[in-house]
Amino acid sequence: MHIPDGLMWPALLGVGWIVSIGMVWYAVRKTRSPLARERIPLMALLGAGIFVAQMLNFPVGGGTTGHLVGAALATIMLGFAPALLVMTLILIVQALMFGDGGVTALGLNILNMAVIGCGVSQLIYGRFGGSMKRGATIAAAWAAVFGGALACAIELGASYWASAGSYGIPMTVALPSMLGYHALIGAGEGILTAGIIAYLHQLLPEIFASPGRQLA
Amino acid sequence: MNTTRYGLAIVGIIILFAIGLELFFLFSAEYGDGLEKTMEKAGVTEGEPVFKAPLDYGDDYASAFLAGLLGFAILFLVAYGLGRVVIARRAP
Repeated sequence: MHIPDGLMWPALLGVGWIVSIGMVWYAVRKTRSPLARERIPLMALLGAGIFVAQMLNFPVGGGTTGHLVGAALATIMLGFAPALLVMTLILIVQALMFGDGGVTALGLNILNMAVIGCGVSQLIYGRFGGSMKRGATIAAAWAAVFGGALACAIELGASYWASAGSYGIPMTVALPSMLGYHALIGAGEGILTAGIIAYLHQLLPEIFASPGRQLA
Repeated sequence: MNTTRYGLAIVGIIILFAIGLELFFLFSAEYGDGLEKTMEKAGVTEGEPVFKAPLDYGDDYASAFLAGLLGFAILFLVAYGLGRVVIARRAP
């Protein structure tokens, strides 16, 4: 779901940058705490692990693939603000070092996969994670991918409409196609996230036992 | 989480990545992701990137594995370093 250069209407790219910079600024301020200081190695490990996981596309049928985004995983482990920072860093390294996602589209990619991905995860896991942890994990992971895809489809449609067809993709194509593929990719994200969280529960029981596990 | 467990976690992630990469090249490497397929449906082709990145994910197992290891190391070090500078130093 990494948007390349030249696909979106330039003004919309600007909106993506403004929103993303604002949210990253907010996340930096929210994350500064003594507990966050202790969790820096865990944040680094999660970021590095999600980076390699994103390289592993899995088939979802119809000659299409998807990969773990990791926004829900990071949010469930760390909370919204630090997860947003981790996801943002992954997207920056992917764009600047590996050419995955356009540099001009970095703002929109951060908005779709980090801000919306982590935000949706936090909303769902924050509401239902107390009583039904595994179900909330799967739902949060699925919705994070689906929400990001919905945003991307709207951006494609809006770009096409605003530029009279010079950029983007007609909404009638973008919406059903993006949502159809990502409903399936989100299912994979849900299964993988639940599996990884179960494993981390065994590996790091003290993190899960901590009442202040989600930092912000 | 102590250093030994971090070491074990890193080794575990790299082993899982090595196995997952084999599966990727067996089943997925030929196909595009959801956005790429949507662009294909709409007849939109990806243009030239504005910025030429110094690395790529590689076309075969060995180069992709090295790219993954390099990315893993870059992410870990940058996240750790930025965390120490931006979060820890200014934490109340």
